[in-house]
Amino acid sequence: MEKRHWRCFVCNDIHHGVAPPGLCPTCKVPNAYVEVSAAEARRIVGGGADTSLAPDEFRTALERFAAGNEFRLNPDRERVDLLLRGVFENERRYGLKFCPCRVRTKDWEEDLRIVCPCNFTVHETYQGAPGGACWCGLFVRRT
Amino acid sequence: MAKLLMFHGQECPHCRKMMPRVERLEAETGLRVDRREVWHDEANQDLMRGYKDALKPKCGGQLRVPAFLNAETHDAFCGEVEYETLKDWALRQ
Repeated sequence: MEKRHWRCFVCNDIHHGVAPPGLCPTCKVPNAYVEVSAAEARRIVGGGADTSLAPDEFRTALERFAAGNEFRLNPDRERVDLLLRGVFENERRYGLKFCPCRVRTKDWEEDLRIVCPCNFTVHETYQGAPGGACWCGLFVRRT
Repeated sequence: MAKLLMFHGQECPHCRKMMPRVERLEAETGLRVDRREVWHDEANQDLMRGYKDALKPKCGGQLRVPAFLNAETHDAFCGEVEYETLKDWALRQ
């Protein structure tokens, strides 16, 4: 299944997936998505400016992401700071926020699985593990 | 003497925990562990990728660090372990 890019013709939301959403999650207009090229999608999302998140903004984004889940950001602040330094260093060097506790294989699809936050809920270090955590320990299960 | 490799990341908390244990291992046993940082050194990344067939089955199907490898036999493990576990592994090599 090849993922493609889709643009809402009303509010310019961008979706990357095998099919367009039936309802735009932002403007709530049905059947609003039209396929666009990856380059066009990048230009729309980027807005021509540097849209990268600052480390504090990324931390906030992770906290919001975890708030609706059974896991949370590790309360060990020092550990989180170290990991976020690695994540941002990897983004600077390699373009994406790769996990500092794993290494790229140089297979694009495989490497997308180690972009932070990854789908760690399927990993053996989290699933069924007492005190489950992602491999690097950025997220831990709520107790 | 077996050639033991440790792949680690500068910003990996598990790797930081393992460093003093590796130093203790070397001091107590006389073994040498060749430490290779992977995220700030592309050559070391390439070296680690070269051992992917040995490492991935022992590392959750991924190239995780810290990873310990006997470069000759390809016996390997990944992750943070107690000193005695590390020592047992190293002395078996």
